Amino acid sequence: MNVDYKSGKENVGGGSRGAKPPLTDVLIRVENLSKSFGKLKVLSGINEEVRCGEVVSIIGPSGGGKSTFLRCLNLLEQPTDGKVFFDGVNICDRKVDIVEHRRKIGMVFQQFNVFPHLTVTENITIAPTLEKKIPKAQAVERAHSLLWRVGLLDKKDEYPSRLSGGQKQRLAIVRALAMEPMAMLFDEPTSALDPEMVGEVLDVIRDLAKSGMTIVIVTHEMGFAREVSDRVLFMDGGVIREAGTPDEIFECAEDQRTVEFLSMVL
Amino acid sequence: MFDTILALWDKYYYVYLWGLWGTIWLSAASVAAASVVGTGLAFLRLSGIWAFDLLVRAYLGVLRGTPILLQLYFFWIFLPRISPIELSDTMCILTALIVNAAAYVSEVVRAGIQAVDIGQTEAARSLGMRPHNIMFRIVLPQAVKNILPALGNEYITMIKQTSLASVFFVPELMTSYRTVQSATFLALPSLIIAGLIYLVLTTILTKALDVFERRLKKSER
Repeated sequence: MNVDYKSGKENVGGGSRGAKPPLTDVLIRVENLSKSFGKLKVLSGINEEVRCGEVVSIIGPSGGGKSTFLRCLNLLEQPTDGKVFFDGVNICDRKVDIVEHRRKIGMVFQQFNVFPHLTVTENITIAPTLEKKIPKAQAVERAHSLLWRVGLLDKKDEYPSRLSGGQKQRLAIVRALAMEPMAMLFDEPTSALDPEMVGEVLDVIRDLAKSGMTIVIVTHEMGFAREVSDRVLFMDGGVIREAGTPDEIFECAEDQRTVEFLSMVL
Repeated sequence: MFDTILALWDKYYYVYLWGLWGTIWLSAASVAAASVVGTGLAFLRLSGIWAFDLLVRAYLGVLRGTPILLQLYFFWIFLPRISPIELSDTMCILTALIVNAAAYVSEVVRAGIQAVDIGQTEAARSLGMRPHNIMFRIVLPQAVKNILPALGNEYITMIKQTSLASVFFVPELMTSYRTVQSATFLALPSLIIAGLIYLVLTTILTKALDVFERRLKKSER
């Protein structure tokens, strides 16, 4: 699945949503990305790209750098070295307004991180009304339609402490969607959930994938990764050991570490 | 003894009420000003600019590492020398009380802000919120619930500390005691009256803070 940058570039204007667009435009490109925490090297020289509408799963053992890699994509973690291009712009460039850029990239966290002092609706409307100056009424209307989409409309005036873990995570997802991002990053979205709630969250992500959203997801849900992904990356020791289609990774992995990991978890 | 106290109160109650008024306004003024200054200091420390951080640390080190009575003397001697306008003793002492209390308030505020889960900030950043919006809309509203109860205790300490102003004959309750004591030579009864008034004052405030804290907990959803 090699992509020719040139043909990708010529096919600009691929903002077309709805049915899955052809996977040609590179939306995220990572060049020689490295990240160290003090002496600990977490990522070393990663090159990777994610195309518009693509669903990419990142799997691998804990401490392999998966989350750090994901957090570098919206600069929650500042890379030590290398470049991250989003929509053609190098967001590591100091001249780039990273805050502005983060609005184009939604993120969902393992620990939900919903705002406990705001109601469900306010959780969704706060960023659009404050940062995009969207009129309150319009933002609320949109929040309610998003809540309806994930089956939470009846909770619209509740506070998050009245929600279950699965409901909190669904709220976190639509909160990110309210900024109308071009891509969504999921950092182990179901790892903090009780088993019976994993399904409801995966359903939402699956729907999102089907709608043509570009998604990068760090997950331990191998079945899900296999089902929804266009591509799977196996990370360990701060590098991408192997990348390919779900079938390539899950059926005929070549890398020794990948094979070992998969035999442990499958 | 009890009779003496009653008689003393009967005769000199206006001296104590005058002192009580002094204590109340000194406390209120220093609480209000120290809250503002202390919050400002906390923000400076959390600004991420190392020069500010260093300055505030030095400030905290000095203010928390020396006796408050020494600080009162320092301001009482030092302020009039540099002030272009004439300063009353009361003003010098009030300034010292504020400067001292601000140090403690800033630590309470800083700790309260830092106790808010970092995930809240990260979520807000990932939504593309600006730093000031993250601070004032996401972090501070949650920090207030950590800060207010601790700040209440700080306020009660501040009320009791205003008694040190009596060293400089600034009008407040302990100064009233000294006035009554030197007029009557009834040291113990006049002291007990002052003590009782302090007790009433701090008890009322403690109860009020309890009620407030319970309401805060109730609104925690």
